[in-house]
Amino acid sequence: MKFKADEIASVIQKEIETYRGQIETSQVGRVLEVGDGIARVYGLSGAMSGEMVEFPNGVRGQVFNLEENSVGVIILGDHLSISEGDEVRTTGALLSVPVGQAMVGRVVDPLGNPLDGKGPVLATETRPLETIAPGIAGRQPVKEPLQTGIKAVDAMTPIGRGQRQLIIGDRKTGKTAVAIDAIINQKDSGVICVYVACGQRDSSVASVVEILRKAGAMDYTIVVNASASAAAPLQYIAPYAGAAMAEYFMYQGKATLVIYDDLTRQAQAYRQLSLLVRRPPGREAYPGDVFYCHSRLLERSAKLSNELGGGSMTALPIIETLEGEVSAYIPTNVISITDGQIYLEPNLFFAGIRPAINVGISVSRVGGNAQTKAMKKVAGGLRLDLASFRELEAFAQLGTELDKATQGRLDRGYRMVELLKQPQYQPLHMADQVVSIYAGTKGYFDTIPVSKVAQAEKELQIFMRDQKPEIRDVLVNTKTLDDATEASLKSALQEFLVQWAEAQKLEKKSA
Amino acid sequence: MEANGNISELQVDPQTQAVARIYADALLDAASAEELAGVIEEFHSFVEEVLVANPDFRTLLNSAMITRDEKLAMIDRTMTASATPTFANFLSVLAKHDRLSLLPDILVQAQQQFEIRSGQQRVQIISGRTLTSAAIENIQRQLSQTLPFQPILEVSIDPSLLGGLVIRVGDTVYDGSLRSRMKQLRDRLRQRSIHEIQSGRDRFSHSERD
Repeated sequence: MKFKADEIASVIQKEIETYRGQIETSQVGRVLEVGDGIARVYGLSGAMSGEMVEFPNGVRGQVFNLEENSVGVIILGDHLSISEGDEVRTTGALLSVPVGQAMVGRVVDPLGNPLDGKGPVLATETRPLETIAPGIAGRQPVKEPLQTGIKAVDAMTPIGRGQRQLIIGDRKTGKTAVAIDAIINQKDSGVICVYVACGQRDSSVASVVEILRKAGAMDYTIVVNASASAAAPLQYIAPYAGAAMAEYFMYQGKATLVIYDDLTRQAQAYRQLSLLVRRPPGREAYPGDVFYCHSRLLERSAKLSNELGGGSMTALPIIETLEGEVSAYIPTNVISITDGQIYLEPNLFFAGIRPAINVGISVSRVGGNAQTKAMKKVAGGLRLDLASFRELEAFAQLGTELDKATQGRLDRGYRMVELLKQPQYQPLHMADQVVSIYAGTKGYFDTIPVSKVAQAEKELQIFMRDQKPEIRDVLVNTKTLDDATEASLKSALQEFLVQWAEAQKLEKKSA
Repeated sequence: MEANGNISELQVDPQTQAVARIYADALLDAASAEELAGVIEEFHSFVEEVLVANPDFRTLLNSAMITRDEKLAMIDRTMTASATPTFANFLSVLAKHDRLSLLPDILVQAQQQFEIRSGQQRVQIISGRTLTSAAIENIQRQLSQTLPFQPILEVSIDPSLLGGLVIRVGDTVYDGSLRSRMKQLRDRLRQRSIHEIQSGRDRFSHSERD
């Protein structure tokens, strides 16, 4: 497109005419030493903790440490362009990021600068990076479900709006995939999603963005990226920036979902900064306030009271463990702050059980209240059943003769495990999940060979959509499984089994 | 290190400054009100006429090869005759604590503290062009009306300011220079035109947003 020269000129002229020069008053100091993302500054006698400061080339920083004779500043930008002796000015403002509808669909850095090459972000409002979490009066209990579209999660460790559910596991166990599925499933639910990539590879963030774009999820998603190559200060503030962007929508009464991928890296960035400004190291060399660093972030997730608009911010923090070590410092910290965890295991992952959720130690402390009635009814005892199946399975591997009842339980277990497998980026609707899990727990798949369960489930879904849409409609609309629906669901499943058996016979003949 | 107190701010070490400040305060506290000005003057002349004029003596005082007792004895022999008791004692205390090398820093701090105690403070004026003495007088008058102390002006010229004045009192800077105003204006214009350009783009090219 072309600009009309006089149009632009008139804007500029108006701006100049209305311009009133003001005398800038600020505190100044001088850089004593600089390096690795931090600067020590002499002077700045009136600087406040957390205040934003400005270096001569426009790079911003945040006051991190107040010492007797100098001030420690973390540099949010290129620290190589700052040299010893540079003048530093206070701005009297807290660090803040642009927020609002203009941010949605964009990929930005933790300061809100665009990274996606789609031009400047036209945000009109900003919000401080760190805000105080809503208090007791401002909250209400978690009671609305946040559907992730993953059968294993929605059935056994349900997540409610405003909940903080930790996703924890070793590297390469599908942690990000669970989070991405949850984002994709928010389509048409009106939930605004924020994906914060902290210390990730740029290539994997690019592929996440591509997946989201293909799934149409970028229409309601903001991606905040502080990749592994970004300076430690940016990695440290990235989750707070993402929280601020989500918070804006929460206080507008909207539901939001924010994913911190991952907080281990943020803790490492914070450790680096703390050690550089010579804060005393504690366990695993993390500073003493690394717990507070995470708790004040996660406490900002809430389901607001109706007086405050009833918005919500659901957080899915991700933690990477080493060799399944959940008792390391950062994992235990975050486990204790969150309302439950989804634990992913490499053994399960390589055994082909994906998502590789270990149901025994995955819990959701508040999500049960938020589960839909239908799901609660069909998945009530599923978690315990599966956990006891795992024990039984270990026992059965010893090769002892088993009685018929035990063998039956084992067979049912194998089929349930098979049923809970789910391909990546294919979230299922709640109604479809209910039908599948109902069929599995009530033993409708017991006659089908384990290897064919996945196929049978797929065909069951098609059957229900095409031939019994009325059952699905009831489930979608009322979200409950009343006796009448249950009866018709039972007869539908019987009908499906007959059709399936015939189809199998035909297949055998033709083969 | 230069002894006249003109050390650049780059070389300032906060730790040394803090120590020097303590000794400077102690010296001023030790001197009675009448002899305060005298002590400062004596200090100046000691640094300028003894230390600068006799670099060997300074090296001797700073040297680690000479024991504390020898230094004390030397100060005793050379200074007691000409110096006031307060100042001689001050030197002995410094020698006892191995702080003789801080003398120039202590002088700078003592001078500053002395000015603050007598209701004065240094104010840096940076101007884009040379100021007439009438203008300086005018600034002096204006400042002494608004500031709670008597300002001592230190005027310097920086052509890159283009025009206007920058006044610095302690750590606080009042920037009324043309340079910073133009920077403000540039930022505002840029902000504004970015907004215009991008909203124009959004209006015409929806295909770019997916």
